[in-house]
Amino acid sequence: MKPTVPKKAYRPRASRAAASGVLKTAGQTTKRSGATRWANTWVQSPNWFFGFWIVVALCLVIYTLNALFGQVHPGSAWGLSYGIAATILFVAVFLYALRRRLMKVRALGRSWVYLQVHVYGGALFLLLVFMHTGFQWPQGVLTWWLWALSIWVVGSGLLGIVLQKWLPTLLSSGLTTEVHYDRIPDLVSEIRRRAEALVEDADYAIRTFYRDDLAPSLTGPETHLAYYLGASDVNGRSRQFDALGAMLPAEERAKLSELREMVQTKQEIDAHYTLQKALRGWLLLHVPVSVVLIVLLGFHIFSVWYW
Amino acid sequence: MSMGPHSGTAEQRVQLYEDRWSSYGDSTGLADLSERPTAKTLKAFDLFKEFDDEVLETLSQDISVAKWEAGAILFEEGSYLDLAFYIVEGSVSLFLQKHADAPPQPIYTTRMVTTPEGGGGATKMYDKTVFEEQIEAQKEHQAKDATKMTMLASMDFDLSKGEERTLGSGEIFGEIGALNGWPQSVTARTASDCTLVQIRLPALQQLKRKSKDFKAWTDRLYRERSLWQQLKTTPLFAGADDAFLSDLTQKVELVSCSPGEVVAQEGEATDALYLVRSGFLKVSQRLADEDVAMTYLSKGMTFGEAELLMDGLDAWQFTLTSVGYTELVRVERSDFARLVQRHPAVERHLWEAAVARIKETGATRQRPEKTDLIEFSLEKGLVQGNSILVMDLDVCTRCDDCVRGCASTHGGRPRFVREGDRYDNFLIARSCYHCEDPVCLIGCPTGAIRRANVGEVVEVDDSLCIGCSNCANKCPYDAIVMHETGETWPDTALPEWLRGKDRKVASKCDLCHTSDEGPACVTSCPHSCAFRISTLDEFQQLQAISGAQR
Repeated sequence: MKPTVPKKAYRPRASRAAASGVLKTAGQTTKRSGATRWANTWVQSPNWFFGFWIVVALCLVIYTLNALFGQVHPGSAWGLSYGIAATILFVAVFLYALRRRLMKVRALGRSWVYLQVHVYGGALFLLLVFMHTGFQWPQGVLTWWLWALSIWVVGSGLLGIVLQKWLPTLLSSGLTTEVHYDRIPDLVSEIRRRAEALVEDADYAIRTFYRDDLAPSLTGPETHLAYYLGASDVNGRSRQFDALGAMLPAEERAKLSELREMVQTKQEIDAHYTLQKALRGWLLLHVPVSVVLIVLLGFHIFSVWYW
Repeated sequence: MSMGPHSGTAEQRVQLYEDRWSSYGDSTGLADLSERPTAKTLKAFDLFKEFDDEVLETLSQDISVAKWEAGAILFEEGSYLDLAFYIVEGSVSLFLQKHADAPPQPIYTTRMVTTPEGGGGATKMYDKTVFEEQIEAQKEHQAKDATKMTMLASMDFDLSKGEERTLGSGEIFGEIGALNGWPQSVTARTASDCTLVQIRLPALQQLKRKSKDFKAWTDRLYRERSLWQQLKTTPLFAGADDAFLSDLTQKVELVSCSPGEVVAQEGEATDALYLVRSGFLKVSQRLADEDVAMTYLSKGMTFGEAELLMDGLDAWQFTLTSVGYTELVRVERSDFARLVQRHPAVERHLWEAAVARIKETGATRQRPEKTDLIEFSLEKGLVQGNSILVMDLDVCTRCDDCVRGCASTHGGRPRFVREGDRYDNFLIARSCYHCEDPVCLIGCPTGAIRRANVGEVVEVDDSLCIGCSNCANKCPYDAIVMHETGETWPDTALPEWLRGKDRKVASKCDLCHTSDEGPACVTSCPHSCAFRISTLDEFQQLQAISGAQR
């Protein structure tokens, strides 16, 4: 498919009628306030959120009572129970991965529910692992690795949650275009092709500006950390365009303006590239280690029951 | 590569295809089809006598003269046509095919549908007429929202079960469905050898615009053939007696509006009640030197009732502008007065509509962002949609599970693209809107694209699709994509131009309507950011709560 440069988002305009007070002002509307928007984005379901903390509190109460009447260690009845509960929870957490791979089976229900189990169940799993070990360092090599990998997996999962909650808001509120990650190289190529066609018969100053300053950045998608801070013009191109525009005749300014729009689109694509790469990249920290954890956990269970 | 498992059905169906002039149904009875007619040829027909050569030259590209053998099915009940037929010679019989008492079909079989739960291959005959299906759909619609009315729109012929009607030389049919984008309510079969002038939609629209006589003629036919029944089955007039409705049918004016045409101007004297037959109208008000969209009107809605009912409101309170091509029924003030005087139930209904409008416009004044949403929705066609896929980009992690979920439930071929227009932080994905009046259905040569049931999901039957791209080209929202199947049409395929070519099929969202689980795009989204909305109110609710409890 031939790439088409993405369209800009429609932003509700500030109506003059609204500005004049004839209509109610935007601040009084039912649209979400910043705080509500933030809260809603981070806690999608209060039921799950508060339910999780209630279960955490219950677990801690049980553990405290348990610890008052005897020592908890992995080999004790209570310690073993916590271990079994953690394992069951781990299996439940793993179902999310299965759900994503079995999309064809419609009867499995909503993916969202599996993700809630994955997130809250994963956090609870770590708590149960700590309870299983009696909140102490593990003794053996295998159990130490299990303990460390559990922390790593849950920690990287939490990092993923942070990224998944934070970066989409940067992408949607800071940028006006929407871009498919896989199509980014094609889109950049298309912008470069159009830009080159535009400057071909443009003024010498524009051609020079394009060749020296713009062309290198149009060779492919670029990553800039500044996009994490919501920056839109990481190269300070606006000033360059303004300065050059002041020196050009009207018809050349139109070309420069078109070129500027292309560069702005490219910068938005770069922002998408940077942020979407992070949205995908964190999985490398999470998934492979989770697989190792599954294998080691299986070995741990086998060894406990065998010996 | 040979054809797939559908080849038998596809070939059988393809044999029914001739070209765009026999846009639906069996064309084996088509004996002759003219090339593009000259102005002189057209002038030989009464219909075109008043036009000069220049106009006829423009019209001629959308007109053809066809000779049909007796017994040929011109179109079937429920099909969407972009054609009207003018009978030059011979006669055509019209009847309700989707009924057990319908006349037998000596030559051709009726359209069969595969039952969703039939385990594949099981078929059933339709047991209800389009009209009956519409009434049921209307009841369901009313049950969901009593304040909204559904206007029956497919009644180009008001036939009763078992009744057959014959049209002869000098008569026209199919024009109401073609002009309004409505399904045909009858099946048409040639009763004798016929010569028909077949007029496609662009020419029909021009004829109506350029000729007062043609407009008056088609309006008269509309009144005679379907308006009475249409008014009778519209909830607004449900309580009115037959005599009054017959009288009203003759008195109302049928108004056709072009895009951007102002129907009523704020401040000018209110002289009539308008009832929308098809299309959309923007209702706006002048506030602080700008026109602010307050709401919009769609099929079956009325306008002007508040001004006519309330004392002291003699002028239009809003401006009414046609968004696209719109068809209206205009009821004069005097007729309106008689109507409400004689029928308190109608008056009560109108009061409810008036109050609802006042509430709605008042709410819009309280929520200025809604006026933007209305403008955006009218411009982008969201108001047409029955099910629009919307994604909250504040929450979407761009994981594409929605696309994968869709693909995995549709043989690896996704039915939508995660691209499209953006409104604020929402993406309107490029997925079928399942429009109220789907233009994609018009002119499908094999009937492959159709509604699963009246008023329901628009779906494509792969086995019938010949990959002509008609639907994809017609869809204003780019929601239909042509896919390669990896197959090649066999040497026996008809029409001949298909032979040896790569087989393509049209692909579009079917809302996963055969599954109880709902659309896969929504259920596969792990972040609950994909929604299906059917009204602007739902969009507004989504804006208000997005990210909250799902």
